[in-house]
Amino acid sequence: MVQVNTSKLFLRFRFKKQGSLQYISHLDLVRTMHKVIVRAKLPLWYTEGFNPKPKMIFAAPLSIGTESECEFMDIRMNEYIDPAEAMARINANMTSEMQIYEAYYPESKFTDLKWMSYRITVSSLGDPDQLAQRCNSLFASDTIEVPKKNSEQTVNIRPLIKSACATRAGKNIVIDTILSADPSAFLNPEYVIKALRDKCGMLTSPDLTAEHYEILRLNAYFGDMTEFR
Amino acid sequence: MHNKNISSVLKSVSKPGRYIGGEFNSVIKNKEEVGVRFAFCFPDTYEIGMSNLGVRILYDVLNKDKDVWCERVYAPWTDMKEKMEEYSIPLSAVESGDSLDKFDLVAFSLQYEMCYTTTLAMLKLAGFPIWAKDRAEDCPIIIGGGPCVYNSEPVAEFFDLINIGEGEEVLLEICHLYKQMKEDGSYTRSAFLRAASHIEGVYIPSLYEVAYNEDGTLKEYKPLFDDVPAKIKKRIVADMDKAPYPEKLVMPYIETVHDRIVLEIYRGCIRGCRFCQAGMVYRPIREKSVETLCKQAKCLYDNTGYDEISLISLSISDYSSLPELTDSLLEWTDASHVSLSLPSLRIDSFSEELMKKVSSVRTGGITFAPEAGTQRLRDVINKNVCEEDLMRSVGIAFRGGKSNVKLYFMNGLPTETDEDIIGISDLAKKVVGQYFALPKPERPKGLGVTVSVSCFVPKPFTPFQWEKQDTFDELIRKQELLKSAITDRRIKYAYHDAKVSFIEAVLARGDRRLAPAIAYLADKGQMFDAWDEYFNYDLWIEAFEKCGIDPAFYTSRGFGLDEVLPWDIIDIGVTKSFLRRERDKAYEGKTTPSCAEHCSGCGANKLGGNNRWCK
Ligand code: SF4
Repeated sequence: MVQVNTSKLFLRFRFKKQGSLQYISHLDLVRTMHKVIVRAKLPLWYTEGFNPKPKMIFAAPLSIGTESECEFMDIRMNEYIDPAEAMARINANMTSEMQIYEAYYPESKFTDLKWMSYRITVSSLGDPDQLAQRCNSLFASDTIEVPKKNSEQTVNIRPLIKSACATRAGKNIVIDTILSADPSAFLNPEYVIKALRDKCGMLTSPDLTAEHYEILRLNAYFGDMTEFR
Repeated sequence: MHNKNISSVLKSVSKPGRYIGGEFNSVIKNKEEVGVRFAFCFPDTYEIGMSNLGVRILYDVLNKDKDVWCERVYAPWTDMKEKMEEYSIPLSAVESGDSLDKFDLVAFSLQYEMCYTTTLAMLKLAGFPIWAKDRAEDCPIIIGGGPCVYNSEPVAEFFDLINIGEGEEVLLEICHLYKQMKEDGSYTRSAFLRAASHIEGVYIPSLYEVAYNEDGTLKEYKPLFDDVPAKIKKRIVADMDKAPYPEKLVMPYIETVHDRIVLEIYRGCIRGCRFCQAGMVYRPIREKSVETLCKQAKCLYDNTGYDEISLISLSISDYSSLPELTDSLLEWTDASHVSLSLPSLRIDSFSEELMKKVSSVRTGGITFAPEAGTQRLRDVINKNVCEEDLMRSVGIAFRGGKSNVKLYFMNGLPTETDEDIIGISDLAKKVVGQYFALPKPERPKGLGVTVSVSCFVPKPFTPFQWEKQDTFDELIRKQELLKSAITDRRIKYAYHDAKVSFIEAVLARGDRRLAPAIAYLADKGQMFDAWDEYFNYDLWIEAFEKCGIDPAFYTSRGFGLDEVLPWDIIDIGVTKSFLRRERDKAYEGKTTPSCAEHCSGCGANKLGGNNRWCK
C-alpha cells in the first residue's frame, strides 16, 4: 500500500455540473454530495461530537443558473483509497449531468485558486456583429460600474476581469472571459450580465423566449495563469 | 430533455430545482416499450410531494411492473404557473418532460381537502376538462386516491375513477385491465370504466345516480346498472411482510420536507380516538416483522445515503416489538452515523430508555398530544391518557435535556365546556411547574412550552361523524377564552385559523352539490389553499353563495343519526353500528380499550389481513 500522510488526508475531485443541474444551489449541492459519498462507501473521515459529519470543502461556489465543466471538492478520508477507485464509485452514484473526471491527492489549497474562465452565450435581439462590437468596446474601457446586489451603490468590476472578448457565433454572441476567483475578490459572472444589460442594452426584453443567456464555467487557474490543480 | 422555452423560464422562477427532475434513482424507461404510461400527480409543491410515503411506495410498485412506466408530476408554484400560461407550456411529468396528454392514466393523490383547488388547477394546466363528463374519448383516465377519498363526493365528478383504500394491488389491476382492453381492441372510455367498476376498491362516480330529499338531505345512491356494486369496499394489503416496499428512493436535489428514510412500521391503529379518521379508515392493524423492517432499513440506507431513519405509523409506541426493533437498528445505525427518529410517540409510553435511543443526535423539542384539557373530555374522545402520564413524560423529557415541549390540543370537541378550555391552560401551567420542580442544575436551559390548538372537524368514518362543528363565532370565542386564560409568558399559544377549519369541514363532509363551488374557485385561478398566503376565505364564501350552497348545512347543522351520509357508499370495514356505539359511549364518558387489550368488534376484521388482534 502506498504510504501517505494520513493526518489530514484530503482527496480532490474535479467534476462537471451541467444541464439542468445548473439550477441546483450550492447548499443543495453540498447536501446531495453528502449522500453521494455515503452511498459510494468511501472511507470517510467524520467530525467528532454529537452530530458527526464528513468533511467536504468546495472551491468557488457556483451560483444558480451557471453550468460548469470545472468544479472542485476536497473530501477528507480516514485512510488511503485509490483516487481512480474513489472516482468510479462516486460516479456510479451520480447522474450523467454531474460526473467526476479527475481525482487526486492535491498539493495546493483552494485559496491558491485565483482566476476562472467562463463562456457566456447570449441570444439577443439586434444585429449580433454590432452587439459583439458594443461588448468589446465596453470591455476596452477602464471602468465598468455596476450596481451592487441589493444596494444603491455601484462597484467597478473592470479590475476583476482579466480578459474578455466577444465574438459572433451565428445569431448569438459568445463572450470568453477570465474573472477573478480569489476568495477575497470573487467576481460572479452575473455581474458581467448586469453590465451587458445596463451598458450595452442587451437582455432587456421581458420576453424570455426572445432573449436569454447561458453561462459555462470552463477552467481554473493559479495566480500565474497555470492551470489550477 | 426540456426545450428552450422551459430552460429560459427556469431562470426566472423561484426554486427552479423543483422542476428539473433527473434525480438519482428516478426511473427512466423506454416509452415505446411500455404498455401503460402512468402519471402520478401530487397536488402540492415538489418538496411536499417528494416527502409523501404513499407516493414513494406506489411509484415503486408501478415501476416494478415492466409494462408500466410511472412518472411524477407536481403542482408548479404560482410564479411558474404564470410563466406556463404566458408561454403556453403545458404541465409535464418530471421524468420524461412529456405533457400529460401523452399518458394513459393520470392519478392524483388527495392528501388533504385543501388540495382540491390545486388538483383542478393542474387539470387545467394539463389542458384537460375538469369535469369527467366533458372528457373526450382520447383523454387520459383521471384517477383519484389517497385519504380524502373516503369521502370523495365533493370532487367525485372531477374524476373518472377513484381508488378506495390502499393502492398497491388495485392500481396494478387497473393498469392491466387498461392494457388488456387496449390490446384486444375492446377499449372505449365507458367500457373500460364499467369493467373497472368490478375491481374491488374501485369507485366510478359516473355510474351512480344521487337523489336528494326535499329538506336537502341525501336520499340514496343508485348504481345505474345491476353489475355495478352498491357499495365500494376498501382494499387493503393483507400481509405487510410480503407487501412491496421501495428498495430505493428518488433522491431530490433540493431539500424536501421529510428528507430522510421513512420506515413504515405498521398500518392501522389499535387505539380508537373518536375524532381520528386515520385510526378508523386504516383498520385493521397490520404489523411488519422486525426482520422485514431491519432488511428494509439497511437496504434503503445503502441505496440513499440518508443519515436519518424515521420510524412511522399512527402511534409508533404501540408497535408490539419496538424495543427489539430499535435495538436491532442501533446495531449498525450508530456506527454508520445514522440517527433514528420516532415522530409519533404516545404520552403513556414515553420512557427514558426510548429517548436515549432516539435522541443521541437530536436535542431540543418534543411533542405530546393530550388533545383535551380535562380528563372528562379526554374520556369522551377516548384518548386514554391521563395527567400523570403527561407529567411523568415531560419530567423525563426535561431531565433528558429537552427544554421545548409542544402540546397539541383540539377546540370544539363534542360536549366541550369552558371548563375544558381552561383545563388546557391549567395543564400547560402544570408542565411549567414540572420543569421548576427539578433541582436547578438538572433543568435544561431555555424552557419553552407551546400550546398548539386546532379546531375540531367532525370527520367521516369516525364516531363523531354525525356531530356538529362549532360555529365560526363559537370557535373564535373559545380561542379568545383560552388566550386570556394563558397568562404565563413562558407558555406560547398557537391556534389554527378557524376559517380554514370551517372550509375543511365543509369539504370533508360535503356531497356532490359542492363540486360547482370548487370549480368556481378553480376558474378564478385559485390554488394552494393549504398555504396560508393563498387561502382565500372570502372567495370560498362567494363561491358557496354563487352556487346556492349553505355551508352550515354541512357543519353546524350536524347530521341526523338516520340520515344517509355522503360517504355511506363506501365500506371501510368498520361498521356504522360500531361507530354509533362509540358515539353513545362518548356521551356517557365511557372509554373503549385498545385492540391490544380487547377486540371491540369494529368490523374491520372482515377485510382479512394478517394481524394478531382481530377476532
Ligand atoms: S376487529 Fe377488533 S381488534 Fe380488529 S380492528 Fe376492529 S376492534 Fe380492533
